[in-house]
Amino acid sequence: MKTKTFRQNAVTYGIVILFYLICQGLILSGNMSSLMKGLMVPICYYVILAVSLNLVVGISGELSLGHAGFMCIGAYASAIFAVCVDGKMPEGLELFLALIIGAAITAVFGFLIGIPVLRLRGDYLAIVTLAFGEIIKNVVNAVYLGVDENGLHFSMKDSLSLGLSEEGLTIMNGAQGISGLPRTANLTIGIVLVLITLFIVLNLMNSRQGRAIMAIRDNRIAAESIGLSVSKYKMMAFVISAALAGVAGVLYSHNLSALQATSKNFGYNQSIMILVFVVLGGIGNIRGSMIAAVILTILPEKLRFLSDYRMLIYAIVLISMMLFNSAPKAIEWRKSLAERFARKKDIPAETAGKEAR
Amino acid sequence: MAEQKKNMLSVESLSISFGGLKAVDNFHIQIKPHELYGLIGPNGAGKTTVFNLLTGVYKPDTGSILLDGQNITGKHTIDINHAGIARTFQNIRLFGNLTVLDNVKAGLHAHYTYGMLSGIFRTPKFRKMEREMDQKAMEILKVFDLDGAADYKASQLPYGKQRKLEISRALATEPKLLLLDEPAAGMNPQETQELMDTIRFVRDHFDMTILLIEHDMKLVSGICEELTVLNFGQVLCQGETKAVLNNPEVIKAYLGD
Repeated sequence: MKTKTFRQNAVTYGIVILFYLICQGLILSGNMSSLMKGLMVPICYYVILAVSLNLVVGISGELSLGHAGFMCIGAYASAIFAVCVDGKMPEGLELFLALIIGAAITAVFGFLIGIPVLRLRGDYLAIVTLAFGEIIKNVVNAVYLGVDENGLHFSMKDSLSLGLSEEGLTIMNGAQGISGLPRTANLTIGIVLVLITLFIVLNLMNSRQGRAIMAIRDNRIAAESIGLSVSKYKMMAFVISAALAGVAGVLYSHNLSALQATSKNFGYNQSIMILVFVVLGGIGNIRGSMIAAVILTILPEKLRFLSDYRMLIYAIVLISMMLFNSAPKAIEWRKSLAERFARKKDIPAETAGKEAR
Repeated sequence: MAEQKKNMLSVESLSISFGGLKAVDNFHIQIKPHELYGLIGPNGAGKTTVFNLLTGVYKPDTGSILLDGQNITGKHTIDINHAGIARTFQNIRLFGNLTVLDNVKAGLHAHYTYGMLSGIFRTPKFRKMEREMDQKAMEILKVFDLDGAADYKASQLPYGKQRKLEISRALATEPKLLLLDEPAAGMNPQETQELMDTIRFVRDHFDMTILLIEHDMKLVSGICEELTVLNFGQVLCQGETKAVLNNPEVIKAYLGD
């Protein structure tokens, strides 16, 4: 059994590396359109978001609808850091520190939000995470933050009331967000972060802690009866998931020159989008959510030539993917297909002949 | 007090009511170490409620519960398990999506520890602990003849084996006292016979005290050394199995007038 999970994980890492090699090859040989090039980093952060949300939805079994909120925290924390240290340190170091700061601050917020949220279950938990996601986005939109020789200035009113001196610098300008960011993210960094995310989530799943998290998901009462602390392990999954969403946020903010919190990037639409990746890829199936994230990020762009029919086709693809993944008939068909392939490989002539009949 | 110290489980005047209903009223029981004790009674007598009180699912209104001299009254389920009580459930509660092996390993959770980072970075400690857990879990599964099914999902097991797996998981927590809630429910006579042997074996092999709820009189009279009969939440009769089963009041409670 050990070797089986090991092989499964190796395939997952392999897919990511293969994807990287193909894309990098296309970019270097000049065969990739600029549109696709622009999608490379988004694909990476969507994969990270999907995998990390799967930790809460699939592994821990709680429906969370506020994932974009955590991404928002990571993005803003790292953007503030980036603007503050702009030009004072090498780009690579800046990004590395930004990632750590983004993940750490998001983890703290994940913990604080987890305290009230994880007392709830089911639909109630989903609604409250949705609310927190929206709160984060709206609060960030109302904050003005500036820095001058006297230190940091903070206001919730407007940029004038910051009272900055002549040389002062406005970092966060309310709804106008943060500008002047370094665009240092690229495909290589994105893929490395995807691999780190997979490493953390997959290894956690196959450890003592992961076993406890899944046991609690399967039967809370039985888990308590054998002495597993429900609140501790639910919190563990929630905080790790939030921190990884924060990492995705850092990648997001380092892929833009100006960062704004709109309902498009950090709103509940985004949270639902990430949830769609998870559900379509299979709840609890890490590799599936990864693949779903890639396909559903590329698809809308590739369907642009259909103009008005774009979202119609997109919806149809969503439905057929869902059917392919979870309709009983489709599962049956896939099983028989897999069996046929396996048989052809193992027992050549004899059974293959019977098959043809 | 010296008398109580000798008992593995000592319960005094335990009561709980739900609304106006006194579900358990002035319940008391003394179980000696290494004893196989039966709790019987008609449907709705409050047997499972007693189990839920003993394991902290419900907090008792009055009364005290001493486990091996340690007061566990009103403690949380998790702490009670750590103190040494493990249980199975009337309606089987397994971790259905985990493998049979992982179900037992979840039971070993508190006894083989390593940190989260150890698990993520696959340190030598992680490998050592996991190896030991695998060994220990397989040992327990072997007792129940489940070692061949270790890689199956728990929900794929047939009913009888699921019951056995639940007992294995409870045993993995290394309890002092094992509570079995209708272990023979839904089993045929042959399976029940096997189960009786297994329960006896568990008691001797793991040096365990066992309290079980059961409806199957053959099982009860076959393995239980002492009985408590519960009727309408109250103790009707207590004592050695044979004497209790011949008590006219007990027969009346079971068969009616």
